[in-house]
Amino acid sequence: MNGISGKALAKRILDSTGSSKLTLALLALLGVGVAIDYLSEAHVVWWLTIPLAACACNLVAAIATNGVFRSQLPLLVFHLALLALIVLLAAGQLTHLKGKAEVVEGGTFEGDLVDIEAGPWHINRLKQVRFINEGFSVDYAPGLRRGATRNRLRYLDEDGIGRQMEIGDNQPLVLHGYRFYTSFNKGFAPMFLWHRKGAAQAMTGAVHLPTYPLREYEQARKWTIPDTGSPAWVMLQFDEVVIDPEKADRFKLPKDHTVVLRVGDRRWELRPGESAELPGGRLEYDGLRGWMGYTVFYDWTIPWLLAACLTAVGALGAHFWVKLRAKPW
Amino acid sequence: MNELILLWAALVAYVVAGSAAIFAVVWKRRPERFVLLLMVLGLILHTASIVVRWERLGHGPYITMFEILSSNIWSLMLAFAIAYWRLPALRATAAVVMPILFVMMGWILMTNPDEGHLPATYHTVWLFIHIGFGKVFLGATLVALGLAGVILVRPTARGQRWFGHLPASERLDDLAYRCMALGFIFESLMLVSGAIWAQDAWGRYWAWDPLETWAFLTWLVLAIALHARVTYKLSPRVGAVLVVAVFVIAFLTFFGVPFISTSAHKGAV
Repeated sequence: MNGISGKALAKRILDSTGSSKLTLALLALLGVGVAIDYLSEAHVVWWLTIPLAACACNLVAAIATNGVFRSQLPLLVFHLALLALIVLLAAGQLTHLKGKAEVVEGGTFEGDLVDIEAGPWHINRLKQVRFINEGFSVDYAPGLRRGATRNRLRYLDEDGIGRQMEIGDNQPLVLHGYRFYTSFNKGFAPMFLWHRKGAAQAMTGAVHLPTYPLREYEQARKWTIPDTGSPAWVMLQFDEVVIDPEKADRFKLPKDHTVVLRVGDRRWELRPGESAELPGGRLEYDGLRGWMGYTVFYDWTIPWLLAACLTAVGALGAHFWVKLRAKPW
Repeated sequence: MNELILLWAALVAYVVAGSAAIFAVVWKRRPERFVLLLMVLGLILHTASIVVRWERLGHGPYITMFEILSSNIWSLMLAFAIAYWRLPALRATAAVVMPILFVMMGWILMTNPDEGHLPATYHTVWLFIHIGFGKVFLGATLVALGLAGVILVRPTARGQRWFGHLPASERLDDLAYRCMALGFIFESLMLVSGAIWAQDAWGRYWAWDPLETWAFLTWLVLAIALHARVTYKLSPRVGAVLVVAVFVIAFLTFFGVPFISTSAHKGAV
């Protein structure tokens, strides 16, 4: 008796969980969750996660209990594809990575990101990724409206073969699953050489000044002199118009400039090749380069998500084709 | 200047066509051939206007409010003209559909026709695919809206006078459902192609920016409408209300959100 009532209870629960009336309520709940997340400043992932998880449970129960799925294969495939989408989205969220990187022209990306956001199960393999920024150009239309970005990179592919490519808008570098996109963040980077007393070789340091032209009048920042840990302040000074707002132009380095260096209460204005004598060594200003900002994205589920989406839409189309052609328009 | 003259000529043709269609409903005349010819004439003139502007600017009509209104008036008129031609049962729905297009035409006359800047992320075939799917979705939804409007107005004395000769509301409701089903497929394709574009344009396939959020909400409301039909065996009137709800949200998504949002989806920065 208990076994039968247990089975009947389980069936009742499953039927209720798979009810299409519950589907409507859960879809509405998902809509509310999306609206709340959209309107609130703090984006709490649970507004979406809970309704999606509930929808997934409802979907599994519906597929298990509703006879219409057994008689209409395209409808079943569509709903299975939706379920696959939810599972893949969850897997993607747990294993994804987003971040930003900045690499000076002539410099190497060595796996360091800023502004990292990663899922708890992301296995970080960024240290396997290496590329050299060989230079970039950014076009501007009149009115300082950004046009095409072109960035030449040299890298070792996953087979260890040296390659070169040009990335830019809509064209990323993909290495070990990580996708590197050029961003609108780029700017000037005064380069310094720190000649420590008694050292055979100088150490290089680059100061990535705030993005240009977005922060045109804020071309200064604090910096730590390599090897010493000493704080410094660096500002780039130039009078020329680097990007002419009146005509089509390109991002370029100012030809005539000086760099203001402050360490403690001492101040220098340096041109390329000039140095500042500091305790422990000499800091030489080596010249100006550009730096490019990259958006980095990792999500192994992308091709599977696309496959699930296309399967869902194909099945939906097949379902409506069969259903609607039974009666003429 | 030529493009504006062509556009205004097209709008005149549309307005005369729409007015004739409304006249046909109110005074029980049937100048359907005349209406269809004028729609086609308007579409030819409008196409020429869009082509001339495209040739001049080097990009299509998808940047400024003027361009988006122009291209959507074109695509919605095309969708309705096809439905008008192929489905005689819904020709009288022009009395519902054309006033909506009149509003859009009035709106475009008040917008600035100056050119905008084509963002670098718009140089991709996915732009055309994404927008194309969106236009089919909105066109299908507009046709459904016309049918829904007739169903809702019909119970009134005036509605009975104007639309009494059309097939039963159940038949119109079935036609509206078919249009919504078509719309659902194409809105799904629009979202997928948009995500493909977004991945390489902005380094992520989905970020809940305002346009993405509203487009998803539109999809969700459409899914709820289609599900509700199956679950509750809705009456034609209730089904019609759901169609109106979908269209309102879709309209806000297409014509409201892009112009109050400064997110990257607009191509800003």
